[in-house]
Amino acid sequence: MYKSTGFISFVLRRFTGVALVLYLFTHMWVIGSVNSGPEAFDARLNLVQTPFFKLAEIALLAAVVYHAFDGIRLIIVHYFDVTEYRKSLFYAIFAISAILVIAGGIPILLFALEG
Amino acid sequence: MAPFSATIRVQRFNPDTDDKAYYDDFDLTPERDTTVLDALHMIKAEQDGSLTFRRSCRHAICGSCAMNVNGHNILVCKTPLQDVLNKNGRVTIRPLPYLPVIKDLVVDRSSFWEQYLRVKPWLIPPEDIPEKEFRVSPEEVTALNNAETCIMCGACYSACQVIGLTKGYIGPHALLKAFLRVKDPRDAASAERLADLAGSDGVYRCHTIFNCIDACPKDLNPTQAIETLRKLAQKRLAYERSRVQRQRSLQNPIVVD
Repeated sequence: MYKSTGFISFVLRRFTGVALVLYLFTHMWVIGSVNSGPEAFDARLNLVQTPFFKLAEIALLAAVVYHAFDGIRLIIVHYFDVTEYRKSLFYAIFAISAILVIAGGIPILLFALEG
Repeated sequence: MAPFSATIRVQRFNPDTDDKAYYDDFDLTPERDTTVLDALHMIKAEQDGSLTFRRSCRHAICGSCAMNVNGHNILVCKTPLQDVLNKNGRVTIRPLPYLPVIKDLVVDRSSFWEQYLRVKPWLIPPEDIPEKEFRVSPEEVTALNNAETCIMCGACYSACQVIGLTKGYIGPHALLKAFLRVKDPRDAASAERLADLAGSDGVYRCHTIFNCIDACPKDLNPTQAIETLRKLAQKRLAYERSRVQRQRSLQNPIVVD
């Protein structure tokens, strides 16, 4: 494959998009059980109240943040003549995503460690 | 100028004898001003006459010698060898990616030319042509954004990941040419062109990866041309009306948005 910053961005966008769709189905599977009563809902919720899933929420946050901001970057590229700033835009999105994931990930991590 | 040592790693493939591609290393002592193409010539003349590659003008205008050097598509005739050597004095030369290899560094560009012809890259003049010449304003020429200086080397086409994933995609080279014709106030078929470009293999297939801009040896901007075509495709009937109006006044140039 022809490697470039744009390709890394493209792959990450696809990857996070598919991951978010998979998460959405899992989310609906858990929340949808509320129709079967409180016991069924609690039972299903307990399945995802494990340390693994709590840590996976950081990955979920990263996917949401990156996918959203990369989408905003694309909208900017589509509607404004900014192709000469393409590299700066890539790195700005990587940096913004990293900052937000760290800022949001710390409370999630502390919550996961609490128990 | 003092000579220096360099190791040229070249991807080789002979369809008559090889099952898959492999690499050959060639050690050279080139001069300071040796280009990558000169190095390939030195290998062919002095070490291995079977090394196969395309070249013609040696002045970066024919577009024959586009190759993948250290992972980037460039014209080897205008690239100094020193600029692409790593700290160990090595450089890796491969054929253009995503295109079938005919032999060594020569690729089959059939799909490249098929897509080029698909967009009808020639001018389709209106029925009513002016008595003298078509008069085009400086602003209209500027709007073409130097797209006419494309040398059809294929560097952008084979750098585009969408080409690797979707063979039907028209490609940045042909879309740049289509942009040139759509924005040309003398052309009479912008509505039909935009209708074709708005199809599933056209401008909306581009994923805005920007490899075409980075690969272009002439510093052209196919991505911006594609973005412009996307906007025009959304309002192509309005654009067609403005074109007709513009052509009626070709003797009195005005700026067309």
